[in-house]
Formats: sequence, structure tokens, C-alpha cells
Amino acid sequence: MRVNPNPANDILAAIQTTQAQEQTALLQLSSGKRVNTPSDDPSASASEIRNQATEARIDQYLQSVSSLQAQMQTADSTLNSVVTTLNQAVSLGVEATNGTLSDSNKAQIQQQIQGIIGSVVQLANTSFQGAYLFAGTNTTEQPFTEGAGGVTYSGNAGSNSVAIADGRSLQSSVPGSQLFQQPGSDVFGSLQQLSTALQSGTADDINTATAAVSAALNYLSGQRVFYGTALNQLNDDQTNLNQVTVNLKSQDNSLVGADPTKVATQLSQAETAHQAALAAAAKILPESLLDFLPIN
Amino acid sequence: MGSLTGSMLMAANALLVQQGALQATSNNIANANTPGYSREVPILTEATPVVEGNLAFGRGVNLQQIASVRDQLLQFRLYDETQQQGNADAQVSNLTQIENQFSSSTSGIGTDLTAFFNSLNQLATSPTSSSQRQAVLAAGNTLANDFQGTVAQLDGIKQNLNQNVVQSVNQINTLTGEIAKLNTQVSTLQNQGRDPGATEDQRDELIRQLSQITEITAIPTTEGLTITTGNGVPLVVANQSYSLQATPDASGAEQIHSQGQNVTSTLQGGQLGGLLSVRDQFLPTVTASLDNLAGGLAANFNAAQAQGFDLSGNPGQAFFSATAGAGAAASFKVAITDPSLVAASSDGAAGSNGNIANLAAVQTQKLASGETPLDAYAGIVFSVGNATAQAQAASQASTLGLQQVTDQISSVSGVSLDEETTNLIRFQHAFEAAARVITTVDQLTQTVLNMPST
Repeated sequence: MRVNPNPANDILAAIQTTQAQEQTALLQLSSGKRVNTPSDDPSASASEIRNQATEARIDQYLQSVSSLQAQMQTADSTLNSVVTTLNQAVSLGVEATNGTLSDSNKAQIQQQIQGIIGSVVQLANTSFQGAYLFAGTNTTEQPFTEGAGGVTYSGNAGSNSVAIADGRSLQSSVPGSQLFQQPGSDVFGSLQQLSTALQSGTADDINTATAAVSAALNYLSGQRVFYGTALNQLNDDQTNLNQVTVNLKSQDNSLVGADPTKVATQLSQAETAHQAALAAAAKILPESLLDFLPIN
Repeated sequence: MGSLTGSMLMAANALLVQQGALQATSNNIANANTPGYSREVPILTEATPVVEGNLAFGRGVNLQQIASVRDQLLQFRLYDETQQQGNADAQVSNLTQIENQFSSSTSGIGTDLTAFFNSLNQLATSPTSSSQRQAVLAAGNTLANDFQGTVAQLDGIKQNLNQNVVQSVNQINTLTGEIAKLNTQVSTLQNQGRDPGATEDQRDELIRQLSQITEITAIPTTEGLTITTGNGVPLVVANQSYSLQATPDASGAEQIHSQGQNVTSTLQGGQLGGLLSVRDQFLPTVTASLDNLAGGLAANFNAAQAQGFDLSGNPGQAFFSATAGAGAAASFKVAITDPSLVAASSDGAAGSNGNIANLAAVQTQKLASGETPLDAYAGIVFSVGNATAQAQAASQASTLGLQQVTDQISSVSGVSLDEETTNLIRFQHAFEAAARVITTVDQLTQTVLNMPST
């Protein structure tokens, strides 16, 4: 069997192969990724796309959560102010039942109650980033207007929900009608009742009206729990979502990330192989019979 | 009886023969690096001896032939491996270009899809915010741009493929013309009883180049080599070559004709086969998947829009527009410019976000292909990556195969300079010895001539 007399092509091919291996290892080391194009690992690439979409979605949920937190904290603290204000109204009502009060004193208190109605209307018209918080879904129109016939509500009974995790959404608001004008616990109605009683009613009327305000106050405090619970949930969700993000990142890394130790080993192996190929070339290529013949 | 004159003539002939052998060696050395060159060996034979009585006197050496050393079977294997490599390489280079459109994990249609639906989820937290409505529109436009951009890039690749097809056809025609001419020369030389080695070398090299472009079958016949494509379309028959013609069809795809017949689908293997398989088989499936994704997404999203109301309380109108079926991805765009037209509301009130849940649900709604939009996109990336990886593996395998055959051919036909140097010394010594025979016989003749006459 005759031996292939021209090993140059084979040697070149070997050098190119080891060079390509070196480059692959270098690319993986520098990018930190094992999969740099879909053909490096088609199924890992497809999974990576899904994984990254989930990561981006979770990021969005986190943003939604923090937007909701700001919005609901505003709503919660507004309701807190309403509760404080209503407490004042109840104290004023109790004070007014004291028989020693003169009519002018009652008139003064009635003035204060009117002031309270005004400030509760203002609070109930609180908006967050341009949207009224207690207008149901009709958030572009001021929901409560103080008129001759008492306070009217021009919002609706709708409410919004926001997705905060896959398959889970959170109701983000309670309509103003439910908060302030619930039959039996009507905030504005009871305040108006108190004001009227102070103007022209008996001590019993004032008592009844104060009790009504107190009932509305209790009801509203109960409704506030909705926001408190929601805020707690949002906090929990934030923690969970952050944990999910960490898990996804580590999944992503195991899908397409390069193991630095492994790649560094591969690189040094490729380097050794490359040097061996070069050394072999240097040894084989110059050898020729002509070197050993005398020149005459 | 032997004679001095006989020896003299024998030595003179030996000088000529060794010169001939030296010339063959010298030719081998000169062509040591010529691609496709097969080494030549002088075929020396012993001349028929003269029998006188019980003695047989040798009559020296004959240079019967300078023969090229070749193995035709290995040549055929070389053509096949070359064809496979041409095919795989053409696929790799074009598929890599396609793959580049789907390589980025931080941009492109997949990222846009998620960003678009995220912008809707963000809008849910403040449905009346005009900046967030604008963000939905912007994310929709980015998605539309990437659909259109990707399709445009794929179109560009298709046009390149068409240009390469035309080039390949031209190369085939040039090569088959040359091969037909060399076929004639080879049979002329063979008819004259001469070794057509050098011409065959040229022809083999041209056939190798031809097989790089398309799969061929070479059949030796009495009139010369007949070359057809892998599926029997004649390219060269004896001294006649049959050219192929490339003409674009209605869609602009170059179709290849032989003698008036469309043979495009029968051409396999080689660079041309690789180009055609990417153009006619792979690329259409990618485009169809993108169309399915774009068309389905537009239809589903518009249906969800129609369920809700825009900021002014009017029923939601179409958000995306896209041609149904083929061309959906290329025509995919956002149909509205007014951000208030995003139908977030479910009850007609401006602040309602009730319909966003429906809009966002399109993200998980199955397309006609039975996949969610993102899965459909991931599927495209998988198939592109997989096809590229397969072509790369085929390319590596064919490189090894080609290397093996080339080594085998080289071990049969390659010039070894060591061997030639050795031969040089052998023939030189033989030449010197033959010359010495002549001087010796000359001296002997002198001796005879100087013998004292009586």
C-alpha cells in the first residue's frame, strides 16, 4: 500500500479543526453562553425563548404590583383620612346631644359638619395619576358633587382587576358608591342627616343621626380592610415573583449558560491539541529525501 | 552469437529509454502540486530476446508507455463526496443567514410579542393614561416592524439564492462544454493508442468541479464518458454537451430547464441542490409559519378588541391589519394611530380595564397551528436552528469523507517527491551505466580494429 505522499492537506485540516475548537471555547467563555445561535442547541434555544418571555412577563407583573401598591396606598390613606374625619363628626354629634348647648352652639357645630361633608367629598374625589380612585370605572369624571339635594355620585358600580401573576388577578378598586353611599351606611346621607338634625331636629334626631354616621364609619372602616388585605397580598406577590425571577434566571443559565470551569478546560484542551497539530506540521512538512542527498 | 554492434545498439536504446523515464520523473516533479494531476510512471519492458541455438540473447529495454496512475472508482467516490460537501456547504451558508434573523434572545419577534402583551398589562394599572396607551401602540409597531423586517430579510436571502442558482447553472454549462471537448480529445488519443492521461486529468478535475455544483452520474461508454445529473438529465454525451437554462417563474424563483423541460425539482445534491432545497423547501415553511403567526395574532387580537370599548366608549375597532393567509407577516401592521382606540374598557366607561384581560388572553390563545403565538415563534426558531445544525453536521461529515477519498486518491495518484528523487537517481545511474557500456564497447571495437592484420 502506497502512503499518501502529501500530508499537507490533512495537517492543515487538523490545524483548522483545533483552531475552530479554540474559537468555540473562546466565544463561550466571552459570552458566558453555551448556546449563542439556535443551531448550537435548537431545543434549548426554543426553551430559552419561552423562559425569557416568562421572565419578561414576571417583570411586568412586578411593575404592575408596584403601580398597584402606589395606587392602593393612596386609596387606603385617603379612606383613613375619611375615617378620621367621620370620627370628628361622631364626636361633634355626641357633643351636640348635650342639652346645655345653645342653638348658636348647635349652629356652629352644624357649620363644622357642613365643612366635614365638604372635605369628605374632596377626599372621595381623590385622584391618582389623573384617574379618580373612587369612581368605579368612570375614572375620568369627578365622581362626587355637592349640590342642593345633597351629594350625587356620577361614577358607576364597576371595578377593575389587574393581572399580577399567571392566571391570577387582583381587584384594584372599590366603586365609590359602595364605599360612600351604601344603603344603611350612607356616609354623605348620614352626615347630611346630622346636619339637618342640628339645624331643626330634636335631641333624639341628633342621636339617631349620630348613630347613622357612626354606622357609616364602621362600615367604611370595614371596607378599608379590602385595601389593607390587597396591599398585604401585593407584598406577598412581590416576594413570590422575585423568587420566581431568580428561579427562571437560574433555569435560563442551566439551559444556555456556559459552565466556565468546563469551557476553560475545553479551551486549554483545544490549545494543547492546536499546539500538537502545529508541532506535528513543523516536524513532518520539511522532511524530504533531498535534505539527505549530497549536493554536488 | 552476441555482437558488439548489438550491445552498442542496446546501450544506445537504453540511453533513450532512461531519458524518457527521466522525463516522466521530471514531469511528476514539476506537477507535484498541480490539483488533479495523476503521477506518471514509465512502463519499461524487456525486449524480445534473440534465440540462437540454445542461447537466448536479451535485446535490451523498451519504453512501452508513460502511463498515468489512477483509480477510476476512487474518482467516482470523489465526485460523490464533493457533491455532498457542496450541498451541505451551500445549505450551511444560507441557513446561517436565515438563522441570524432568529438568533437574538434580546430582540426580535419573540421579545416583541412579550413586550406588546406586557404593555397591555401595564395599561391595566391605569387604563386612562395616554402615555401607557401610547406605549401599547409603540410596542405593537415594534412587533409589526420586526415581522416586516424579518420577512424582508428572508426575501433578500431568497433573491440571493436565485442569483446563486443562475450562477451555478452558468458554471454547469461552461464545465459541461469543456468536458465534452476533452471527451473528444480523450477518445482521439485512445484511438491512436496513446495514453490520454494528461487530458483525463484535466477532465477529471472539471468533473470534480461539476460535481461540486450538482450531483452527477458518470458512465464510461465506448464513445467516452456520459455525464448525467443524479436523476438522469443528460449533461454530456460523448462530444455533445447539453446546456441548462435558468428562467424566473411568475414569483421570481429561477426554474431550471433542460431541452425545454423543467427539471428544477429533479436536481439534487451539490451546491445547486443545496440552494434549491433551502429556497424551495426550507424557506417556504419558515415564511408560512411566520404568516400563520402574524395572521392568527392579528385576527385573534382584533376579535378581542371588538369585545371591548375604546376610551371614548365606542366599540373597539381593528388594532392590527394583515392579509389573510400568505403574505400576512409582510403586511402586518398596526391599523390605528390614535392611542385612545385601544379597547381597554369592558363597560364603555373610560376608566374600565375589563377588556384588557381579553386582549392579554390572546397571548395564550391558540393559533390555527394549535400553538400559542410565543410557542409558534419558538417553533420557528427550533426548526431554523435544527436545520442549520443538521446541515453543519452534514458538512462536517462530508469534509471528513472528502478528506478520506482525497487521501486515498493521493496515495494512488499523488506525486511523492522522495519517490521521484529516488527514481531520478535510479534513472541517472542507469543512464550513466548505459553510456559506460557504449564507451566499453567502443574500446572493444577499437581493440578489434587495432588487431594486427596478417
